[in-house]
Formats: sequence, C-alpha cells, structure tokens
Amino acid sequence: MGLAVIADDRTIQEPSEGNERMSSGNAEADHILGGGFPANSINIIMGHPGSGKTIFAEQLIFHNAGADRPILYFTTLSEPLAKVVRYLQGYRFYDENKMGTQVIYEDVGPQLAKDGAAALVPLLKEAIKKLSPKIIVIDSFKAVHDLAATVSERRRMVYEMTALLTAYGTTAFLLGEYTEEDILRYPEFAVADGIVELSRRRLGNRDERYFRIYKLRGSHYLEGAHAFSIADSGLEIYPRLVSPPLPEGYEPVSERISTGVKGLDEMLHGGFWRGTTTLLKGPTGAGKTTIALQFALEGARLGEPSLYMNFQENPTQLIRTIRALGVDLEQAQKQGLDLVYASPVELQIDSIIVDMFRRIQQRGVRRLVIDALGDLAGAATDTQRLHDYLYALVQHFAVSTITSVLNFETTDSAAGGNGSQNPMSFLSDNVLLLSVEGEERTRRTLRVLKTRGSAHDTRVREVEISAAGLCVL
Amino acid sequence: MQVEHPDSGAILIAEHDQNVRELQRYFLGKSGFTVEFADDGRAALERARLVRPALIVTEIMIPLIDGLALCRRLRDDPLTRDIPVVVFSFLAAEPRAREAGANAFLRKPLVESTFVATIQGLIAPSAEKKEKQWASQ
Repeated sequence: MGLAVIADDRTIQEPSEGNERMSSGNAEADHILGGGFPANSINIIMGHPGSGKTIFAEQLIFHNAGADRPILYFTTLSEPLAKVVRYLQGYRFYDENKMGTQVIYEDVGPQLAKDGAAALVPLLKEAIKKLSPKIIVIDSFKAVHDLAATVSERRRMVYEMTALLTAYGTTAFLLGEYTEEDILRYPEFAVADGIVELSRRRLGNRDERYFRIYKLRGSHYLEGAHAFSIADSGLEIYPRLVSPPLPEGYEPVSERISTGVKGLDEMLHGGFWRGTTTLLKGPTGAGKTTIALQFALEGARLGEPSLYMNFQENPTQLIRTIRALGVDLEQAQKQGLDLVYASPVELQIDSIIVDMFRRIQQRGVRRLVIDALGDLAGAATDTQRLHDYLYALVQHFAVSTITSVLNFETTDSAAGGNGSQNPMSFLSDNVLLLSVEGEERTRRTLRVLKTRGSAHDTRVREVEISAAGLCVL
Repeated sequence: MQVEHPDSGAILIAEHDQNVRELQRYFLGKSGFTVEFADDGRAALERARLVRPALIVTEIMIPLIDGLALCRRLRDDPLTRDIPVVVFSFLAAEPRAREAGANAFLRKPLVESTFVATIQGLIAPSAEKKEKQWASQ
C-alpha cells in the first residue's frame, strides 16, 4: 500500500542506537521530522505568543522523561513558572509523578534580570554539573537574547552557550517569539541544528495553525506547512499530503467493478476499472449523492470496505436517504460501510485528509466517496494547495487501487458542457455529467464524458430515481 | 578489563576544548579521580612518559601529534604501552582508534554516566583519593 502519509497507528518512533533521534512525543511531528529531532542537537521552536510552542515542548519532555537522566525546563523572563505549570496540568501528557524528579522546572528569570544575559551560561553549566540533564528547554530564549545590551554581547552569549551545549550530551530546545525575519538576523539561528515554526493565520471566524520546519541538519524532513490544532492531548498535527512514489513495477489493475447503478455498468462497458477516480458532476438534485451512495452500498454488499466522506447532508438526512433506497443501514455498516460526516462550516482540509487516510489504513478501504469536492474547495484557503492535495489524493488512490467517486456540484443544469473547466476533470480517469431539465425539473439525464482506457456509451441517457435508486432508462 | 596502576594515580587528558575539560574534571573528580590536562599530543606524550598516569583520555583532533598517533606512540614505548587509553572524539573513528591500540572509544558529546563508567571499567580510583573521600565524609 502506498499510504504512508501518516505515521502508522500513530505510534511514537523510539530513538534507536545509531539512528540517534529524539522523539518529539508526537507521531505526526516525528513523521514530518524524518524520525524525530537529532539527538544532542540545538533546536529553536519559534512562533508568536499563543502559537503552541510551550505545549509542543512540554509534550516532548513528558514523553522522553524517564528514570535515566532528568529533563530541565528553564523558564526565563517570558512567563512566570507558576503560570506555565498551572496550564500544563490541563494536558493529558502531564504526569505529576515525573514532576520534580524526571522533569525539573527552574525559574531563572530573577537571576537573569539581575545579572543580564551573561548569567545564562554559568546557570546552564551549574545545572549540567548538578543534574546531567538529557534535555534542556529554555522558555523563552528570545527573552534572554533581548537582555543583551549589545550585538557583541548577544553573539558572545550565543557562542558560549553553543560551545557548552555541544560539549555536553544533551538535546536543547530554545523557545522564542521570533518572526521569520529574525532567522536572518539573530545568531542563534545560525548555530541551531533544527528550526521549527508554529504559526497561526486568521481565516474568517476561525484560525488555521501551521507547523513548519525551516532547517534540520543531517536529516530529511517533510517540507511545507502542516496544519495542526491544539487538543488536550497536545498538538494534533496533520502532515501535508504529498504524492506517493509509484511502486516499482506499478501497473493499473485490470478488473472491472460494478457501480451499483442499473444500466451504468453497461454504459461503461462493464463498470469502473478498479483503482480509478470518477468525477461525478451535476447540479443540485440531479442524483449525484444517490449514485455515490449506490456505489458505496454495492461495495459493502460485496464485502468491500467502503468509506463515504460526506460534507453535504447532515447524518440524519443521509441515513434517511439510505433507508429510502430500501437498504438496511446497520447491515450495510456491518458489511463494511463507513459513513463519515464533517460540517462544511468547520471543515479543515488537512484534518479531513488525515482522518480519511487513517480510516483507509485501519479498515482497508476499497471504495471511497467524497461528497462533495466543492466543500473541500470552500475550506481550502489556498487554491494551489487544494489542487496539490487533490492530485496527491488521486495518486494515492491509484497506487492503493482504491476506486473513488468524487461528487462535484455545478451551477449549470445542462449536461451539454464539456466539463473541462474543473481541474479535477484532468485528474480524474472518468467523468460523468448529470443534469436536470424541463420546466418542472423532472427530466434527468446522464452522460459519460470520459473513461480512461475504455470505450463507453457516448449518448445522453435519461435516468430515473425511484425507491430502488437511480437507474439508466 | 582492569589493569594494574602504573606509577601515577592521575588521569591524563589530551583535550583543548575548555568546556569539555571543565566537565571532565568535574565528573571525574566527583567519582574520585584526579585529572591532569595536556594541550596537545606532544605534551601528552612527554607527560605520560614522565608521570605514567593511570589512564589517558585523548581527543583525535589535537595539535602537534593527533590522538591516534599519540595512541600508537604510547603503545610503541615500553614505558607507556601498558597505560590504558580512551579515545574520546567528535569523529566517528572507533575502528581507527582500536587499530591504533586504544582500549576504548567514546563518541562526543560527553555524557557523564557513559564517560565515567568507561573509565571506571578500565581503572579503579586511586587508593589515596579514595581515602581522602572517606575522610571527608
């Protein structure tokens, strides 16, 4: 299967000898980091206040805390220690048994305020001698940086700290409210082995958060912006979908599968090729959801796990539609039908994609419906990003021989268009056009516009929706 | 394998990084060892012949005579050939260190537990230092 877009089963990759990685405590972040942070490295976690830096660092330290060597968390002049610890206790990764023994918080703010930035290195040296910490977090390092009165003082402090942290076997995380411009200006970015940015972008009434790696020495990583949200378990990261490499000797499967729609299989000369993607276009009320449901239900009937991702109708409406087709929903679900609903208002494309792939992996999905693409498009803040996502999605389906139907609502009721305006028409193997015509909008038609690698019935065919579903007349 | 003490109970360390030196002195001192430093390979070789330390720790990248050459010369000299040598370096050079005659190789950065345990595995703290430790308790 070519579905390695998320870490399998969300397992944390343990650092192994020779590999020398330190897990972030977050399976998706580790996947993006190519296995975790390099051990004994210096890393910067940057982002505006409220971006999730502290939560990310705390998730990491509690995951790595153990009986071997303690973890040291220096709070400086950004947030008082009491405040940091108070909010920490609300997260599921927090373990009070580790506090004070395996995880040691120390407020060095007063000392720094009194003696300036130069006090940091002696404080670190003292802590290393006293505790032998395997991880050191400085939150916020930018606050220490800002204490240095001159550029030369700042550079000296960063140089001395780097020399100390390089000599001693520890992995350091420097947190700071840095901006992208600071990367070119401040010396700590030159010495850092890893730079991770957590950012937030306002989108209407909601925020979108992104996790991005700027630098990771000696390691490959997944480039680009990966969406995330903050939950009581810590950061929920959704790695950006990338196209899968085609496996060696990859060949399309030569097997036809039934669409579940009476008459349509004949129009397609035997049904869809397995592993192909079909774009189902048409105006509202033309029968897109009915055809897509029949396709998924046919899969369940044949014992093929089928996933129906629904952003259009609320679950009650969809269940009513299924029952109206005379289908026993519970039975269909037992046979492998998985109905998933996400409100288009709350839709976050990255989280939907990750959820979809998790279900595909867990259930071994063979048939998939997305109803409808327009909702995903509406949720995407960046058109190019959406197109990249859809392209990668179709490639993943092809490699994994998942047969998919993607519904797309048009405003044009006629089926006479060429259907090529939508970029998905180029990506899809098959394109079907539905239309509703007549004054009473009672005449429905279906036309197969394109089938890749197959002949098909090119005529505009009338269809009927009855209690038995949609059928070609 | 522990070896019998040569003449000096001290550990001779050829290391030029001040941070590494400070931590080595601190962690080994805490475990009852006396430490002496040499700035380069030539000084380390001369000092080794003179005081016959209990053990020698050397970085590979040190001036005048590098750590591996130092190791070979120590092995070639009847006066120093029995002194255990630990090569402690940022370079991944374990096979070369073994080939040069080192008893152990450790990759930097320094981790107290591994570093001290390796040295303890090769020598025991000097009796004199131990007595001092007991007396101060």
